[in-house]
Amino acid sequence: MKKIAITGSPNVGKSVLFNGLTHTYNAVVSNYPGTTVEVTSGKVRIGSYEFEIVDTPGMYSLYPITEEEKVARSILLDRSVCLILHVIDAKNLERMLGLTMQLQEAGLNVILVLNIMDEARKLGISIDIDALEKELGIPVAATVSTTGEGLDSLRGKIEDYVRKIS
Amino acid sequence: MLEKFPKKIGYEDPLEIRLSELEALLLSDYRISKRALSILLLQEDREMMEMVKGREKENSPRIFEIIAAAQQHYHQPLSYIISQCRQREASRIAAKVMSFEPQRTATFKERLSKIMMNPVIGAPILLAVLYYGLYKFVGGFGAGILVDFLENKVFDGYVNPFMIRLVDSVIPFKLLRELLTGQYGIVTMGIRYAVGIILPIVATFFFAFAVVEDTGYLPRLAMLIDRLFKKIGLSGRAVIPLVLGFGCSTMATMVTRTLPSKRERIIATLLLALAVPCSAQMGVILALLGDKPMGLVVWLGIIMAVFLFVGFLAAKIMPGELPSFYMEIPPLRFPQLSNVLRKTASRLKWYFLEIFPLFILASIFIWIGQITRLFYFSVRILEYPARWIGLPKESAVAFLFGFFRRDYGAAGLYDLKKVGLLTGNQLVVACITLTLFLPCIAQLLMNIKERGMRMGAAISVFVLFFSFSIGYVVNIILTLANVHL
Amino acid sequence: MLSEGAEEILEALWVKIEEQGNKPIELAANRDNPAIEELIRLGLIRVDRDHIYLLEKGRSQALGCVRRHRLAERLMVDILDVKKKNINEVSCKFEHLLHKGLEDNVCTLLGHPKVCPHGKPIPRGKCCLGKKYKIPLKFVASLGELDAGDKGVIAYLQSKDKNQMQKLISIGALPGISITLLQKFPSYVFQIGQSQFAIDRELAESIYVRLIK
Repeated sequence: MKKIAITGSPNVGKSVLFNGLTHTYNAVVSNYPGTTVEVTSGKVRIGSYEFEIVDTPGMYSLYPITEEEKVARSILLDRSVCLILHVIDAKNLERMLGLTMQLQEAGLNVILVLNIMDEARKLGISIDIDALEKELGIPVAATVSTTGEGLDSLRGKIEDYVRKIS
Repeated sequence: MLEKFPKKIGYEDPLEIRLSELEALLLSDYRISKRALSILLLQEDREMMEMVKGREKENSPRIFEIIAAAQQHYHQPLSYIISQCRQREASRIAAKVMSFEPQRTATFKERLSKIMMNPVIGAPILLAVLYYGLYKFVGGFGAGILVDFLENKVFDGYVNPFMIRLVDSVIPFKLLRELLTGQYGIVTMGIRYAVGIILPIVATFFFAFAVVEDTGYLPRLAMLIDRLFKKIGLSGRAVIPLVLGFGCSTMATMVTRTLPSKRERIIATLLLALAVPCSAQMGVILALLGDKPMGLVVWLGIIMAVFLFVGFLAAKIMPGELPSFYMEIPPLRFPQLSNVLRKTASRLKWYFLEIFPLFILASIFIWIGQITRLFYFSVRILEYPARWIGLPKESAVAFLFGFFRRDYGAAGLYDLKKVGLLTGNQLVVACITLTLFLPCIAQLLMNIKERGMRMGAAISVFVLFFSFSIGYVVNIILTLANVHL
Repeated sequence: MLSEGAEEILEALWVKIEEQGNKPIELAANRDNPAIEELIRLGLIRVDRDHIYLLEKGRSQALGCVRRHRLAERLMVDILDVKKKNINEVSCKFEHLLHKGLEDNVCTLLGHPKVCPHGKPIPRGKCCLGKKYKIPLKFVASLGELDAGDKGVIAYLQSKDKNQMQKLISIGALPGISITLLQKFPSYVFQIGQSQFAIDRELAESIYVRLIK
């Protein structure tokens, strides 16, 4: 089965996104960084594909400095992972794009997920998704994982991307 | 729109030269691109360096020469240089695709956040959280009302008499009846403790903890407490596993993984094993000492003193890098009831999957121990340390239970108190010793799993001796000072 | 006052002897340099057949020269935004102007930096040692010295410990990023982008910020 790994900095809503995509409640969600210390995985059907989705501990960069980051990296570098959802806090695009670029640089298949869009909008931040896709050369989705907003569009992008790379 | 090969980040020329040299020398097949691998190598990524050393037998000396040369060229760590190049590109893209019209004055949440991080107002807020969350809700509601209802009404009133009658009429063998509904039987003790005492306490704790953590209060607490924690060799970050330890120390030991250094992980594991009582234990202790406020104060004072003293000593003795504190402070959010409930349920599920078998197992062990008389023998041995610390020999049973689960042991004392076998002083000494006592079997296993055989065993042996020593000292002091709690 | 040539020689001597640990220095090509004459006359160096020795009196002078050179570099990079390849050339001229008092003012202005842009240590001056006094003219300072509410852009990171630096890098506190100090007790709380971070004093002192009024 194809594996999708969810990654990103601590506290950007990876686990909520995981629960939203898998319709389960396996990943523990909290409002503090570093909630996920064990790896959670779940099965999900997206379009015509069946995936195993893996939620990973938070990591700031591909160069690990903590144990959790080491765990997270080793999952991403597992050969059975065909796609990585890099979840970032849309409010902090500038600070978090670095990891997207590192994942791309590593030759991995990445979809960038701009999460917590609601808080970003409230602050007066708007992001041109099409322009960002062009700049990075990868699909970009905007979501609010706590309400489920944007998840359908994300599923569509996952399906398209997987079709393209397989 | 999609390109198979994404755009490259350009680094500074001296780096690019080294990178292309390195890429040419990496001949094996790697999961990540050679460019990315080279970049990690330049940053002295240990794991990657080991891997390359193993796979590039011939080229590896040359590879490490190049890395050293690149480091020579710059006077700052290469990860600093590399991250800056990357950040410039990220900033360029962000500026292009993002627009920002600040449209706000400080919101209520931001002002509240500021108040919470104020050291003067922070302390009363912490006390309020502890008082209402822990004492009132977990202690009063969970350990008081709920336990009373489940234990006394449901189990003693209905379940146990019913099960005893059922087993008596169905099973003719006395030995088997003992296993199920005897004094330490699976139903009469195992399930009664697990469901009647532990469940309501742990459930209320996990609920309160979920509410607190979802607000984002914990990182603010970490930030307030960092200076104090530095004195015991930890950073503010350790507040999260330690507070979680008040729920379940076993789960908390697992969460010590979030601490950045080995030294901090060991100190936190030690403190969790020794001086952080889990919610089940605390609930029972609150019930035991609830009518002796002075006893509660002495218990709390001693446990806190041990916590600080052992932490302070550990920090002095343990080698390794000093902790440094950095933590993201997420915005305050209003907890969603659905998330809180689901999280409580998922933690409870984890807790029960882990402990329920142990409760049953404990009953079976005791049953086997009784048949083989091993149980009486162990109790006999434990009667000595129990007497040294001034306790009646009947309390040895509670300590034996403590091996199986700490809360189990505490609940054993509860039975002793009910029949009036313990004086105030003895109760306090017993509570202190049992709180500090060896972690439950589950935590012992987790200690070994997370810290390794040697460290896990060392921590357990230390805790075993230390808990009785403190009990001994406290008993003597209370006796000498002629205090009757 | 020493000539520029003499200062250059003192500086080179100090780097060779104090930082690279070579004892006597080959006289070699410097033999006929008039600056050597000048230094000998002032009792700052001693020369035998083919080696130069730095005398005690010369040592403190040399230290000052190195300090002024590296402060000049810092000033060029942090404040005047001189391109990296021109730093050395411009700083070499500029350092000779940084005499008596001016040097300590520049040092204070830059937040008493500990290293030059190339990562070499800047010898401490008396302005760095005394009780930290604040002059209103403050452009670059470590986060540890700022007041709550100060805003700026991260100029550079500086820490002896590579791991410490890595922590700051990983949370994205990198040069060029805007930063606001929100609180400084009991821990330092700052905002970068839309996120807040808490760090301890040690880490705070590793972040140098160019202030924005």
